Amino acid sequence: MTTILECRELTKVYGKVVAVNNVSLGIDRGETKVIFGPSGSGKSTLLRCLGLLEKPTKGTILFNGTDVYASRQDLNKLRARIGFVFQDPSLFRHLTAIGNVMLGLKHVLGLSDNEARRKAYEALKLVRMEDWANYYPSQLSGGQQQRVGIARAIAMDPEVVLFDEPTAALDVELKWEVITVMKDLAERGTTMLVATHELRFAREVADEMIFMDQGQIIEIGSPDHFFTSPNTERAKKFMAKILG
Amino acid sequence: MWFLLDYSMFLINGFLITVEVTLIGVGLGLILGILAALGDIYGGKIIKIIVNVYVEFFRGSPLIVQLFIFYFTVPYITGLRMDVMMTAILTLALNSGAYQKGYLKGAMEAVFKDQLMAAISLGLPMWKIFLYVVVPQALRIVIPAWSNELASMGKSTTALIVIGVREFLNTGISITAQTFRPLETYAFITIVYFIWIYSMLKALDMLYNRIKIPGLEPVI
Repeated sequence: MTTILECRELTKVYGKVVAVNNVSLGIDRGETKVIFGPSGSGKSTLLRCLGLLEKPTKGTILFNGTDVYASRQDLNKLRARIGFVFQDPSLFRHLTAIGNVMLGLKHVLGLSDNEARRKAYEALKLVRMEDWANYYPSQLSGGQQQRVGIARAIAMDPEVVLFDEPTAALDVELKWEVITVMKDLAERGTTMLVATHELRFAREVADEMIFMDQGQIIEIGSPDHFFTSPNTERAKKFMAKILG
Repeated sequence: MWFLLDYSMFLINGFLITVEVTLIGVGLGLILGILAALGDIYGGKIIKIIVNVYVEFFRGSPLIVQLFIFYFTVPYITGLRMDVMMTAILTLALNSGAYQKGYLKGAMEAVFKDQLMAAISLGLPMWKIFLYVVVPQALRIVIPAWSNELASMGKSTTALIVIGVREFLNTGISITAQTFRPLETYAFITIVYFIWIYSMLKALDMLYNRIKIPGLEPVI
């Protein structure tokens, strides 16, 4: 399989805090990987580095085999090929749902207004938000906003989509709206790297799960592995805590 | 008050000059205000210092003093003399820009960091983020505060009398000097100012109501 996005020995330091410490991982085309671990374990920082939103302190990031920073590629062009869904939906408040999805299509991919509108509508349909296309963010629930955020990311036809705890700020009912959409995307073969605490989602769709703690990858394995017999004490404790 | 009809062209001319310097001053001030706000939020240390010196000078000194500086001192130092209208517009624009920077900075900072990050993640270059994400939201948020600026600038144009601009009040003074009827003349001038400024505020109110977006209310 082709590895789309990869990091090697990635370290990110803020002042004296080592948020991510010497992490290497890759995501292949069509794969769904789930990163999980306690809060502050470095999941979000790792994702932001992989999404080219933060520059690592050390290590390399490869996109389709090319070292992103060494090759001095246009980062904006690369970012357009990596979808990113944030914990907070971060919708543009002056634009409707469809306006939010159209922005990148028009001003990054250069599509015409009609073409962008058609594509944005398709993406909204995929997340079941087409009936809310003309509503402003403040008129939508948290779950609906998050689904628009997902539509905004996938409308760009990215090669990989990174999800940074997209359900963390939602209540139980709204969480499932978003998780259902993510499951649909995984079933359609979207390449996804998801940081989440939703282990039921991970069990159903993940090809591989990655347990992180204190900025490091502690253990990697299949969902069955983690749900039945994780190797490390830390992973065992965390699974027990999450699953009650 | 009918005697003022004899001076109607004179009055209309003076009023149009007042409107012209106000609108151009505030318009150019808006551009300066946006640039200064961007410089203050996103610029480096030197740009921030330049912006702050500019803002503090124009907010911290009287408009009349600024007019004297640009009419007398700047030509004396540089050897370049501008006509009174140019001096008036330049001074008003710089003065207004300093105040508008404050409103705009607050409004731009209201466009939260998470939206900027979302825009970056889509691959938008910084200038497009300002153009399509920051500025459209900031301008909507700033309109109510901006109304005050327009009203204040409209009234401040009376200070232009000190460098001899033939604006509306100056026209009234000339008429009074000729007719010795200050009561009616200044009453008329006051009524016209009131109607003009009130109409501008109403128009901005209507514009705000027309373009306002749910959930994007002013925070300043």
